[in-house]
This record gives sequence, C-alpha cells and structure tokens, in this order.
Amino acid sequence: MIALVLMGFGIVALIQIPGLVRKQWWRELICFAFLWFMGLILSVMIAIGIKLPPISTIINKSITGMFGI
Amino acid sequence: MSLEKGKISNFQLSVLIVGFTLGSSVIISPGQGAGHDAWIAVAVGLIEGLFIAWIFTAVVKQFKDKTIIEINSLVYGKFLGKCISVLFIWYLFHLGALVLNSYIRFFKLEIYPATPKTVGLLLLMLVCASTVGRGIEVLARCSIILVPLTTLVAISDTFLLIPHIDLNNLMPILDVPIGKLLLASHGAASFPFAETVAFLMVLAFVDKPEKGPSAVSRGLLMAGFILIMVVARNAAVLGQMAAITNYSTYLAAQVIDIGDILTRVESLVAINLIAMGFIKISVLFYGTVLGLAQVFNFRSYRPIILPVGILMVILALTNTENTFDMIDFANKGYPIYAISFQIGIPLITLVIAKLRKLPQTGGDKV
Repeated sequence: MIALVLMGFGIVALIQIPGLVRKQWWRELICFAFLWFMGLILSVMIAIGIKLPPISTIINKSITGMFGI
Repeated sequence: MSLEKGKISNFQLSVLIVGFTLGSSVIISPGQGAGHDAWIAVAVGLIEGLFIAWIFTAVVKQFKDKTIIEINSLVYGKFLGKCISVLFIWYLFHLGALVLNSYIRFFKLEIYPATPKTVGLLLLMLVCASTVGRGIEVLARCSIILVPLTTLVAISDTFLLIPHIDLNNLMPILDVPIGKLLLASHGAASFPFAETVAFLMVLAFVDKPEKGPSAVSRGLLMAGFILIMVVARNAAVLGQMAAITNYSTYLAAQVIDIGDILTRVESLVAINLIAMGFIKISVLFYGTVLGLAQVFNFRSYRPIILPVGILMVILALTNTENTFDMIDFANKGYPIYAISFQIGIPLITLVIAKLRKLPQTGGDKV
C-alpha cells in the first residue's frame, strides 16, 4: 500500500515539477511542494493505519456543544 | 493578469447552478427533518436561498469582474482580506470533501460494497481535476449536456412512479410544529440552495455580468422546482420511510416496475448522482484552486490542482467517523457552521463596500 502511495506521489511530482522549474515559477513550485508533501505525509499515515482526526465530527461537536443543540 | 481566460454565458451559468444545486441532493433529500412536509421545507428553504443569493450577487454586481478573493482584498485591505479569503477557500474545500464523502458512502453502501472507498474517490477526483484544469468554459459545457439528462430522468421517474403515489402519505399538510418546519427549511436553504455562494468564484467570468444575478435566480428556481417535485414524490411513494431513509430517491426508484420489463431504474438515479456530484465537486474544486492561486498571486492555478485534489480526497476519507456522524453533522452542526460563509462573509463585505463607497473610480479603481 505504501509503495502504491509513494509511486502515485512520485508520478504527480514528475508531471508538475519539471514544467515549473523550466518556467522558473518558484512561488508556484514552493506552494506545490508544500501541498504535495502534506498530502504525502497524510496518505502514508492513512496507509499505515494511523487514524486522522475526523474534522467534521470535531466541528459538529463544538457547534452542538456551544449552542446546546 | 487574470487566471481565467474563459467566459461563460448567462444561460450556461443558470444550467451550472441547476447542476450544482441538484448535486448530492438528487440522492440525499433536503428538508428531511419536516417528515412528510419536507417538500414545504424545501419550498421555504428555496425562498431563503434566493434571499442569500440576492446578497452575494449584490456583492458581485458592485464589483463586476472580480472574484470574492479580489473583492476581499479591496474591501478589507491586503492582510485581513487574504485571511477572510483563506476562510472562504476552506469552506469550498471542506464542502467539496463533504460532497465526495456523501458520494462515496452511497456507492459503498448501495452499488459497490466490495470496492475500496479510495478507488472510487480517486477516479472521480481525476475526472474533476482534468475538467478544472481545462477551465470554467469546459465545466459549463459539461453541465449543458449532463443537467438536461438528469432533469429528464427525474421527470420520467416521477411519471413512472405515478401508479405508486398515495397522496394520503402527504396528509395532513403542515402537521409538523412550525419551529421544526423552520429548522428543516433553514437546513434545506443551507444545503443545497445557499451553497451556491461558491459561485462568488465563478460569477466574474460571465460574459454579461449585469445579468448574472437573474441567471443565478433562474437556476435556483429551476433546481428548487425539481427538488420540490422529487421530495414530494418520494414522500408520496414511500410514506414514513422517506423521513427515515438516507437515500429516499434511490429507494423510490427501486419501486418502479412496469410489467416486469422496466425494472432496476435506480441505476439511473446513481448515474445522476455521479453526473451532478461531478459538477458540484468540480465547481468547489475550481473555486478552491483559483482562490488559492489568487491569494498567493500565482501565474496559473493549474500547478496546484493535483495536490489540492489529493488533500480533498484525504479529507473526504477522514471527514467523519461513520455515516451517523455525517448525518448528525448535516442536520445539526452544518446549518450553523455554514451561515458564516453563506451569509456572513458576503453580507459584511457588501455592507463595508457600501459604507466605504467601493469601488471608487479614482485611485482605488477596480
């Protein structure tokens, strides 16, 4: 599973990075690299079975607690 | 430099709004909290939705060819404007993940129980990413083909269900307490009608911006009538079951059986969900990447399409712990959570723009 994730992210990087470097779009490259890295870390965490916090459930609990619904 | 070169017509905008509003509502009926009066809740929700649309289209009317991100920078100043823009982009991103989540939960439960969720999500996301990369014009053209087909299926399903309709299931009318009805109506307004606030990222690319507000209203009215028809039909066919099941449209379509020849029509409902879900996710995805690109002054939004798409899939996978949590969020937390984005940001922006007499024609020219 982790190998598949790494392969997928490798393909995405291969598609995007050469073009951005050629055009010297450094701002876009930094943002791409940040989002890509965040996605990679989270995907690997999911692949090895680490449970990520359920964001909508947290928002729901905060709102229902705040308004006493 | 504009990040989007394409222009869409007002008719395309209306059709896109119909597709967006039908989105996941073709399968998850809005206004369920009102029981068999859900169709009344949807009708009242449509009126509230039209009012919210009037607010956000007034913002665009004021600033013509600007998206909400550019408008925020002008109204609140660079730093605060970008902070508010990031909040709005979060809403689009989160909503996109919620639609993906409801889409994949339906498919896992009803159609492909053995297929891993990730596979379905990635396939849909790839199609959406490809469309978003080609710009708003391509998305609008897709909606011109897909929305009439979906409408046709919804209308033909209703005709085919006529033998199973029992109007007694809709009686007595206005049986639910008014408070409960209003709560369900607000729920129906926040999902799906007011979600069209996402079009604050699209309205700048309409070829005749002065007619944009009427195109939005036309789209909402059309989608509203289809939804009222579908919700009333589901309640009339399924009775009490319509209020307790999550996928009443799918369940109602399962009843269709014309002489043992025309059966399993529910597959068409599932196809509708893919088509309308694709339009809704693509619009939200487009708004997210275009918004991010405008906040960070990029030369194109295309480089961030794939990583943002992957993050949306991850959020869709981890959004809620189970289906119960998702429905609880949709019924309780979401209508309050969404108010700040659907009414708060556009209304405050409009008021401040009016007070500051923006856009100015002198130095602060837009």
